[in-house]
Amino acid sequence: MPTDRTTHPEDYLPLSPAVFAILLALAGGEKHGYAIMKEAAEPAGGAVKMGPGTLYGSIDRMIRDQLVEETGFTDDARRRYYRITDFGHLVFAAELSRIGNVVRAARSKALLKGARA
Amino acid sequence: MKPPSPFLFALYRGSLRLFPGHLRLRYQDQLLQTALDAHRDSTSRLRFWPSLFADLIQSAVKEHLLMIRDQVIARPIFFHALTIGLILTVMGGAASLTFQQMLRRGANQPQMQMARVYASRIVRGVKPDEAFPRNYVDMEHSLEPFTIFYDERGTPVTATGYLNQTIPTPPPGVFNYLRSHTIDTVTWQPQPNVRIATVILRIAGPNPGFLLTGRSLLLVEQQESLFWRMVFIGWFVLVFLLIAGAALLNRFQSRNLSLT
Repeated sequence: MPTDRTTHPEDYLPLSPAVFAILLALAGGEKHGYAIMKEAAEPAGGAVKMGPGTLYGSIDRMIRDQLVEETGFTDDARRRYYRITDFGHLVFAAELSRIGNVVRAARSKALLKGARA
Repeated sequence: MKPPSPFLFALYRGSLRLFPGHLRLRYQDQLLQTALDAHRDSTSRLRFWPSLFADLIQSAVKEHLLMIRDQVIARPIFFHALTIGLILTVMGGAASLTFQQMLRRGANQPQMQMARVYASRIVRGVKPDEAFPRNYVDMEHSLEPFTIFYDERGTPVTATGYLNQTIPTPPPGVFNYLRSHTIDTVTWQPQPNVRIATVILRIAGPNPGFLLTGRSLLLVEQQESLFWRMVFIGWFVLVFLLIAGAALLNRFQSRNLSLT
């Protein structure tokens, strides 16, 4: 949890597929739980199929780690909206950078045939 | 919104109790709403409910494991005490079992020696009723070793051990086994509360048959019982000391932290 100021975004890497998909979904703006779940299941969202249990378990830990937070806005008593925090952005950027390095390394070894350099 | 499949939905709502309490209290409404939204958009009802329940069980187990991990990390002293306790329990249990086996095997030793001596006499041609000293051992009450000789059919021929003033006979399976083996060691219970450590030899030669030497297990079982009682008391004291030590250390650490 980043209350300890020595915590770096890299300490959270690699992210689990669920956490990555949730951050990716929230990177586009505030969303409620089901909207996050739906976007994560799409190919562009990581194609991560998760149920409500997995979603809210991950969100709970992400709130504790200050990667996301509740906006305080609800369009229904049961729908709460979440947004990515500044620290969440840093962690997400660090993960994208890590994945970018891996993809570059894979390309250099010709593991991604047909992919553009 | 009216819930779809009221029974399954009620079952799902009830099953949310599988989650750790803090998570359920905080997210129960959102979990139900998300399940409703997902159900509304699902294309296959047949696949929806199994996958919803599978997710619930999987995530509930995961959350409980993570909660345990967090608690262990928060209290490392108790974790170390638990680890030491487990290691000592396993090692102590293995040592105790080994000792108990040695105690039980030791109960056969005098009979084994006697059986070999008497068997060699019978094989050399000494009549069975002259092969071992005449004696009368009440198997129910005496701790003395005794000897019984049976003929090839398993019928008692001569004996020094008696139960209710008759010569008891082991189950036929014992003799059947010995027809293809030369020796067998068994715990024989000719009647309730009478347990005998027996060694039985198959005898060939001029007086073929079976020679049984036995001894009451009463003393050995009393020793075993006392031993296990001591082991349990020792284990209980050890666990108590570990818990007390861990609690003291934890308190000491907490006090030190509050002073800094």
